[in-house]
Amino acid sequence: MRDTPFGRLVLSAREMVREQVEFRELLLQMTRRDLLLRYKQTVMGFGWAIFMPVLNMVVFSVIFTRVAPIDTGIPYPIYAYCGLLPWSFFAQSLKFSAVSLTSNSNLVAKVYFPREIFPFSAILVSFVDFAVASSVLGLLMIYYQVPVAPTIVFLPVVILVQVAFTAGLSLLLAMANLFYRDVKYLFEIVLSVWMFATSVVYPVDRVGGRLGAILALNPMSPIIDAYRAILLRGELPDPVPFAAATAIAVSTLAFGWVAFHRAEFEFAESL
Amino acid sequence: MRPAIVFDRVWKKFRRGERHDSLRDLIPSIARRWIRRRKPAPERLEDQEFWALSNVSFDVGPGQALGIVGPNGAGKSTVLKLLTRILKPTRGRCEVRGRVGALIELAAGFHPDLTGRENIFLQGAIMGMRRAEIARKFSEIVEFSGLADFIDTQVKRYSSGMNARLGFSIAAHLDPDVLLIDEVLAVGDLGFQQRCHERLAGFRRAGIAIAFVSHNLQAVAQLCDRALLLTPGAGPRLGEVHDVLSAYASGATATGDPRVRVHDARLFAGGGEDDDGRGPGARPIVRPVKPGTPVTLRLDVEASADLPRCGLGLLVSRSDGLLVFDGASTVDGVRPVELRRGERLRCSVSFRANVLRGTYLVGALLFDSFHGGWDAVRLPGLASFVVSETTRRGGCVELQPTYDLQVGAEDGARA
Repeated sequence: MRDTPFGRLVLSAREMVREQVEFRELLLQMTRRDLLLRYKQTVMGFGWAIFMPVLNMVVFSVIFTRVAPIDTGIPYPIYAYCGLLPWSFFAQSLKFSAVSLTSNSNLVAKVYFPREIFPFSAILVSFVDFAVASSVLGLLMIYYQVPVAPTIVFLPVVILVQVAFTAGLSLLLAMANLFYRDVKYLFEIVLSVWMFATSVVYPVDRVGGRLGAILALNPMSPIIDAYRAILLRGELPDPVPFAAATAIAVSTLAFGWVAFHRAEFEFAESL
Repeated sequence: MRPAIVFDRVWKKFRRGERHDSLRDLIPSIARRWIRRRKPAPERLEDQEFWALSNVSFDVGPGQALGIVGPNGAGKSTVLKLLTRILKPTRGRCEVRGRVGALIELAAGFHPDLTGRENIFLQGAIMGMRRAEIARKFSEIVEFSGLADFIDTQVKRYSSGMNARLGFSIAAHLDPDVLLIDEVLAVGDLGFQQRCHERLAGFRRAGIAIAFVSHNLQAVAQLCDRALLLTPGAGPRLGEVHDVLSAYASGATATGDPRVRVHDARLFAGGGEDDDGRGPGARPIVRPVKPGTPVTLRLDVEASADLPRCGLGLLVSRSDGLLVFDGASTVDGVRPVELRRGERLRCSVSFRANVLRGTYLVGALLFDSFHGGWDAVRLPGLASFVVSETTRRGGCVELQPTYDLQVGAEDGARA
């Protein structure tokens, strides 16, 4: 069992998880560090977490209610915000994790601890922003009189799926950017295109045709639709796309983590 | 007892020059690999590759300390990086049992914008301490560092010495099974360095295995019982600390001056009180000597050029570079000799080693006045000796003080 490829995989998976448990306090400390730094180095502090999605919401509200009105079935500002909120969490996590290893190069080259801590803490930091910014969603729901549906109990599941997908990509990106610094720039372009390929500010399933078929493969759309379904519409997520997104998320995480873990030893030499 | 550190026939390969860091370089490298169609064998060196470590073995048991010395680039830090698992050996086995405390880059985890207090928690976590553990030891750490007044100041306002003190204080309060130290004690003022060394000695007594990399041979001699000498292009040498340090000290600074060939250079210690090292009781120095021991340097050189007015100079320096003595036969009124090309000169200089604990390098100068002015053939680091001290005196020179204490109530001196 131990010598089969699968056996080795199970063993390294156990080691990976055990290391994270062992170093959990470091993960929290690194997260705390980044939050503290932002709070100290910027005047607006956590205000930035709210500012960006709100600004985006205002801009897209002008476009999609006045210039090119679309019907979303829900008041547009709250529709947009409910998409922008998880999308910012996703995009920001990836942006921070992509540079997490290179910007902490002194630590990577000189101290040993599981390197996953860097991208993971980038995600945790973004999660705090996500939590802060979700207060605005609460205010919008009160303003537009959207009642809180019992389906909100599924929120942790949706968040978990998103985090799994984000974590898998983060590990791959952080690693790739360490070996090739082009990745960071390339990925920023990818992210801006990806946003419009996802149901963030408009329902992407209206694209249709061959392009629509390609866009249907994007796992972020079912995830963001799921937020809207359980929070705003009081419905369960569309089961088939959501299950597919979950499967993609879990396999991305598994693949990303194993690849990261195997390459870990080369990090210090590549810096 | 099982060794805490095992380093078993370890080889480590590095690559010279730049590595490709952008996608532009990736494509040609993939193409090249595709053409070769084989994985590079770990035993072979591709171009630009070299062995940073070749066939290095040692082990360190609980309560033992191993000093690792050698010139820059010999692979000392690589050894520690392998032990901390930052690097992986190309070949061989490298194992550390138990909790590892690494005093390498003490301030690596510090963030300049955070305060000392915040950095203690961050750095502690990086070193593997639990939050509760750090909180418990917090006041002890601050007290040890002596930075109580600055603990809520941002670390970017600290001097580099303060930075290092805080770093060491955190590391010193870890409870490791294995401690790895890389040249970190050279910082901080004298009092703090003394405290660091005491702390390290305390760690050893507590049964912690220590691997200590340093250029401060004295600190190595003080802390370690065995040492490993790494020299680029030569095999590693492992042995009793004084043997290894002497070998390093005499080899490290020897430079070839083309005008002379040194056939033999050896230090002898006197046999008795009145023996100056020339007498029948004199014996070669192999063990550490006591302060005040008469020492003789015997030198046998062959001239490859004419040295018409040749005198002998003596240079003694401590391993940390402190020049202890610089003198010459001509200054003391000894007539220079005429040495022709191809002739052998056997000379000796005796002196009293009135120095305290440390490793000392002995070198010689051959003076020559060929062009009117003095021109010296420098032969530094010909030999070395170690002074061990049992008395509780510190410093460098044995001053043989006499003390006088008087308590006076109304004597004339004070009035």
